[in-house]
Amino acid sequence: MKGTQSMHRPQKLGPRATQAAAFAALWAAAALVLLPVAAILGVMFVRGGRAISWEMLSSAEDGLLPAIVGTVTLVALTAVIAAPLGIAAAVYLREYAPRGPLVRLIRLAIVNLAGVPSVVYGLFGLAVFVTLLGFGRCLLAGACTLALLALPLVITASEEALRQVPERLRAASFALGATRWQTVRRIVLPNALPGIITGLILSVGRAAGETAPILFTAAFIALTKPFPSSVLDPIEALPFRLYYMATEAHGITEDAKWATAAVLVGLVLTINLVAVITRARLRGARRW
Amino acid sequence: MGLPGMDSELIVKPEGEVKIETSGLGLFYGEFQALRDVSVTIAARQITALIGPSGCSKTSFLRCLNRMNDLISGARVVGEVLLDGRDIYHEATDVAVLRKRVGMVFQTPNPFPMSIYDNVAYGPRLHGRCSRSELDEIVEKSLRAAALWEEAKDKLRKSALDLSGGQQQRLSIARVLAVEPEVLLMDEPCSALDPTATFRIEELMIELMTRYTIVIVTHNMYQASRVSHYAGFFLLGELVEYGPTEQIFENPKDQRTDDYVRGRFG
Repeated sequence: MKGTQSMHRPQKLGPRATQAAAFAALWAAAALVLLPVAAILGVMFVRGGRAISWEMLSSAEDGLLPAIVGTVTLVALTAVIAAPLGIAAAVYLREYAPRGPLVRLIRLAIVNLAGVPSVVYGLFGLAVFVTLLGFGRCLLAGACTLALLALPLVITASEEALRQVPERLRAASFALGATRWQTVRRIVLPNALPGIITGLILSVGRAAGETAPILFTAAFIALTKPFPSSVLDPIEALPFRLYYMATEAHGITEDAKWATAAVLVGLVLTINLVAVITRARLRGARRW
Repeated sequence: MGLPGMDSELIVKPEGEVKIETSGLGLFYGEFQALRDVSVTIAARQITALIGPSGCSKTSFLRCLNRMNDLISGARVVGEVLLDGRDIYHEATDVAVLRKRVGMVFQTPNPFPMSIYDNVAYGPRLHGRCSRSELDEIVEKSLRAAALWEEAKDKLRKSALDLSGGQQQRLSIARVLAVEPEVLLMDEPCSALDPTATFRIEELMIELMTRYTIVIVTHNMYQASRVSHYAGFFLLGELVEYGPTEQIFENPKDQRTDDYVRGRFG
């Protein structure tokens, strides 16, 4: 009875044909996403490839070396500032905070912080770190500004990593007479660390490509002193260099600009790759 | 809330030394009342089994005894729980010390993702025992007491997650024993184990009984009748009947207990 009913139900397309159509549509959508990425990377590496040379990369005077060093330093310092703040905030929110209006307010602030345009961070950095705190335009001011930008991402990623530590491990620790802090330090954090580190690297990797936050706070075009000697010196940075080449400098070929872009993208992709590898290696060591 | 006179007939006070005593114990999860007016006496160095259908709050009761319900937001306890005559819900109670004295074994084995050795040493390290030789001694003693030493002695540095389910549960027991508790709360410790592993845990409980007060929650009626001296039957958040295991299983006074132990429901 059941069989006859379904056999006689009128159908325009058989399940196989629908399946094939759906597969084709979904595949096309996915391929469409790839297209612009491939186009951008293709143009960049082809045109940039013509201009790129070892000399261009390694020369301190008219090459990219100061900008590469500057960006790497900036990213490292950003991570150093953002990591303790971000992880501590995530631990508070996930492990300590009682559910209530305060935590809702903090979460709302984090979401909004993530939505603030990066140029606003730049202005804020200028007002607070450069002027009010008197750092001046320097590596430290830039890193503080970028750390603020990265913070919501670091917090969110760390919270997610903490959430993935099974509740039963916390319960087992408490049941043995551990305090909350002992449980966090000995059980939760070690097991969440792979996720936290990955999130941290990805977040600062994103910050590495930003121009606006460092525009007023840290970056300059070095004419006399290519490398900073302290955190209170201004620095060259790849995104700023690119911005400068594209808008203000004269007599620079298009290919040279693309080459700079390729170096920046290459650097960011390398940072992301490091994150992926770190996660894979640390994850291999832990499971539950 | 029953009349006191009525209670005394169904809730029998064990003879001998008392370890835990609750009076008028109630538990709320927000608005929901999970336990009402549980007044019971638990004998020292005996095995007390708590039985009852799923959702009857026997596990919630167990978790009141080491204040694990504190970890659930919105959980609220009324009444008293006396451990050696002292109220564990008194504001001066150090919950960490309480949980060290009242250890717990959970339903599913939950070893930490670290070595067998570090699992057992976790508790002692928390409580400040760090010297190498002392820890070695505690680890061996605890694993022996949990009947895991012979199987584990050659792989103490290996991950605890490589052990079988039954071994992991015995490791959980060793981990609790390492902090030298006085009471062992066991929340359906065998429900995730096969019959052989279950048998080993039951043997273990009988061995441990001479030194520890054991309270076990179980769904398994045979288990309760095999290992326990006293048994309590919970239904819908109330302790219906409590007394010597034989009496609960052979000659229950309450019709509902009778129906349950004869397998008519649950």
